[in-house]
Amino acid sequence: MFKHLVKVGLLSAVVLATFTSCEEEQQFTNEKLDAKRVEVQVLNDELAKVRDYVPLYAVIAHRGSTFWAPEETEASWRWAREMGADYLESDVQCTKDGIVLANHDENLKRTTNIENVFSENVPTSRVDFYMSLGFSRADAEAQYGRDMAAFRPFYTLSYYYAELLMLDAGSWFNESSLEQARPTFKATENGRFENGKIVYSNGLYISAIQDQIAYAQGKRLIRDANGRRVLTYKIKDEYKGMTLEQIYNAIKAKGEYNAKYMDFIEYDFANAYEADPEDTGNRPGIYVEFKESWLNPGNMEQRVYDVLAEQGWNIITNDPGDQPFYKNGKVNVGNTRGRVILQTFSFDALRRANDVFKGRIPMCYLLWISEPAYATDIAYDTPTGYAAFIKWAQDNGAHIIGPAISGAPNNYPEMNAPWQAYMIRRAGMINHPYSFDSWAQMCKYMGYYNYGWETEFDDLLRLEIPATPYCTSTYPSSVPVYMDGFFTNRTEMSLRYMIENGFRGNPALPNPFHAGQKYDNSQANVTVPDAAATLERLGY
Amino acid sequence: MKKYILMPLLAVFALTAAAQDFDTDPTLELENAEKEVKFTVGARMMADAAAYHSEFTPLQSGASITDARIRTSMTYKDWYFYADFGFGGGKFSQKNIFLQYSHLDNNDNTHAVKVGYYNDPAGSMARNTSLGSYHFISRPGSSYALGEGRELGITYKFNSDRFMAYQGVFTENQYNKIDAGFNGITVAGRYLFRPISDDFQTLHLGVSARFAHLGGGEVYNNVLKKSLHLGQALETLVDEDEQFVSADLDWANNVVNVGAEALYQNDKFFARGEFFYKHVTKKRDSYSLYIDAQNNIDGWGDIEWWENANKLKNNNFIGGYVEAGVQLLGNGYKYNKQEGLLGGLDGKSLEIVARYNYTGLNNLTDGEYYNAGRGHFYANGYMEDWPGTGATSVGGGDIHSVTLGLNYAFNRYVLCMVDYTWHKLDKPFLPNDKNFHVAQARVQFTF
Repeated sequence: MFKHLVKVGLLSAVVLATFTSCEEEQQFTNEKLDAKRVEVQVLNDELAKVRDYVPLYAVIAHRGSTFWAPEETEASWRWAREMGADYLESDVQCTKDGIVLANHDENLKRTTNIENVFSENVPTSRVDFYMSLGFSRADAEAQYGRDMAAFRPFYTLSYYYAELLMLDAGSWFNESSLEQARPTFKATENGRFENGKIVYSNGLYISAIQDQIAYAQGKRLIRDANGRRVLTYKIKDEYKGMTLEQIYNAIKAKGEYNAKYMDFIEYDFANAYEADPEDTGNRPGIYVEFKESWLNPGNMEQRVYDVLAEQGWNIITNDPGDQPFYKNGKVNVGNTRGRVILQTFSFDALRRANDVFKGRIPMCYLLWISEPAYATDIAYDTPTGYAAFIKWAQDNGAHIIGPAISGAPNNYPEMNAPWQAYMIRRAGMINHPYSFDSWAQMCKYMGYYNYGWETEFDDLLRLEIPATPYCTSTYPSSVPVYMDGFFTNRTEMSLRYMIENGFRGNPALPNPFHAGQKYDNSQANVTVPDAAATLERLGY
Repeated sequence: MKKYILMPLLAVFALTAAAQDFDTDPTLELENAEKEVKFTVGARMMADAAAYHSEFTPLQSGASITDARIRTSMTYKDWYFYADFGFGGGKFSQKNIFLQYSHLDNNDNTHAVKVGYYNDPAGSMARNTSLGSYHFISRPGSSYALGEGRELGITYKFNSDRFMAYQGVFTENQYNKIDAGFNGITVAGRYLFRPISDDFQTLHLGVSARFAHLGGGEVYNNVLKKSLHLGQALETLVDEDEQFVSADLDWANNVVNVGAEALYQNDKFFARGEFFYKHVTKKRDSYSLYIDAQNNIDGWGDIEWWENANKLKNNNFIGGYVEAGVQLLGNGYKYNKQEGLLGGLDGKSLEIVARYNYTGLNNLTDGEYYNAGRGHFYANGYMEDWPGTGATSVGGGDIHSVTLGLNYAFNRYVLCMVDYTWHKLDKPFLPNDKNFHVAQARVQFTF
């Protein structure tokens, strides 16, 4: 018996020894190790070429700014341009007449006085509005009935753009941001329907994407003596002479999208802007987010493509050639192939944007997580799940990943932990986290807190930043960097951080996407204007 | 006179001795021949050690008391009562508890009626075989994923030299612990034919069938939601993680199991195998759920739209295994005719064994796209925001497993086992987990 016992014991020992001599195994699920060993799809050469259209360490003015001025208005974008942001960020929604708005919310209650101007029903002035365009009362009333059937109170898709220009998009800011409130953000007169026509308000407006492009080009709105913007509109040529019912049926017959979009009015954006006397020469790009795909028309991406083309900003139809990102201390991104970046959380919008733009314009896929997971959220924020989303993004023409970051005041979920930044870098994609509001967040994601300390992701994320004359330190820094640019509500603070830490105004930055190559942004602006003084200079 | 009392008693003992979860005779017996009563007490302990090697998701290697049990039985005339209780894993658990009445007819056929909590006859040959008598450290994975275990019910069993017919009716949950609904009902049966059956060898061929109507569930948005969980561990009891092979089927309604089995045994060799087919039907109160979803301005269009985005599909799963063993020394393999099962090692023995198992819990629909970050399939071949995935695929995992084992019994009480298993996995949610290696050993003591 003893002999058998020895035999069994020996056999067991051999088996166990064989196993324990195998490679070092993980004792638990460790994201940091998994991030290194999970398979990650790498950007192909074609997409990598478009990726390089985007400047490194870009400062993206999130909605212009949510801190200093009413978001996504003339005030916030002019301010961001003058501060020296590389991009003016926006979100696109659609109006009833198919105008692509640059506006964050699909519901206008938060950022306008719509509840004071309109009831929860189709605007009572709608019939008069139709009649002001030359339609008969009976025709207008019949269309009013159809409008009611598709009406969503306070949603952009339920209002004509001209109606939305009756709203004040600035006063809400003064009520919610008491310290940054300015009397000039508030309209002194609401819009109204008067003498057979719409009279716009005279403050800050819900923006069209054309407005945003104009601000990026150093322009501002043309306003009349009463401070109201000048924007005329008329019936499109193709619908002239038709009744509203005929127009409705004609649009419905197109079948491109729901007939609730009465896309028969054209606005004279060509004559809506003038040179901004306060323009100092910065030419930022625009960074446009496709929003709720299930609310906006199914051809929203094509609409954006068309508007960009009309405005000369679509690089597929109007290639600006190789241009520097910065010239003589001024931002020049708006004149480069990187002038437009598209972004979205939406699976549908990403896929449709790829169908339209075919990966030829830089595109960012945004990440969000919640519990329970919303329809477009990543549900499994593991290296495997992250890799699956990276692959999905690339397969649908994205070059950039935009993860949420933690920290006050938004306290978003952390989706840009070092292991996640590492995976994005492994994929050869740009990392544009959102949204920065504090110096502490910049320190955290730009490596300051890890200064000098070795990290497990140094092989790809640690950068040697040569000192510049504008840095607070005269020594080069060696830091792990968890971003390649970011969305910020504090452009002034972000630029200052970039400049003082050598990320801007530097002729010899390492290029993380091209080993051994240097990235030169020495022509970028290295002084940051005072934020409040800039608003005052702009007339706010 | 004593002889006339003892002989029927012995006959009844012979019928009942195997009708329990252990197939070794208990060592401690108390018998009162005058009152025709026999009482037994026994126990079992299994301690396993396992080392795992995985490519991505770690498993917890280590050692564990995987089973500790006390069993008792009492026999009175044709009546037999049995109960055993588990303490493995540091937790008390109810194992078998039943009462059986047996009758030997004039043709030496047995008739037995059993009531209580015990293995479903159609649960699988593997699940009906005591783990203490099994020739591997774990039963085949497919028997866990697609077979059934103990249920509360009543059965009738007929057994002759050539045939066995064993069928009954069961409930879903032995304690009626359900949040809503009722305790379900199951009809199951196992039927064997033995073309070869003598003192030296046995061949049995069998089929089984089981129909279960699930009754219990949870209240979800004011609707009774019934679900079915299918799963198996990696044929090990030290880390019983089922994440690699498992599926949760929401809105399950009826479950149909069909099985086939074969077993051959002679003195020095055995081979056996089973095939499992499981069909799960689904049912849902779509209208109530649709109405409940109409709670905001982004609600659904019409019910047809909702149903297209939330499709229901019945599922089919298959699995099976083949096992074989060669006894190098010992008293030979034994076949238990009353149960239609292979016995365990009896006395000092040495054997080598091998097994192949397949469990298929992937029930995929052509053209659907899977994203591991979402953990969802999508019907149209790509991810969509809204209104829903519309997908019907189940990605519970397909696994192939090959096991080699060596078992040595020092005597009828003490057994040592060593198994090595290689698993090959295909599970959409775990794309980085392909190969697993499991080495495990067991020391078992039974009396």
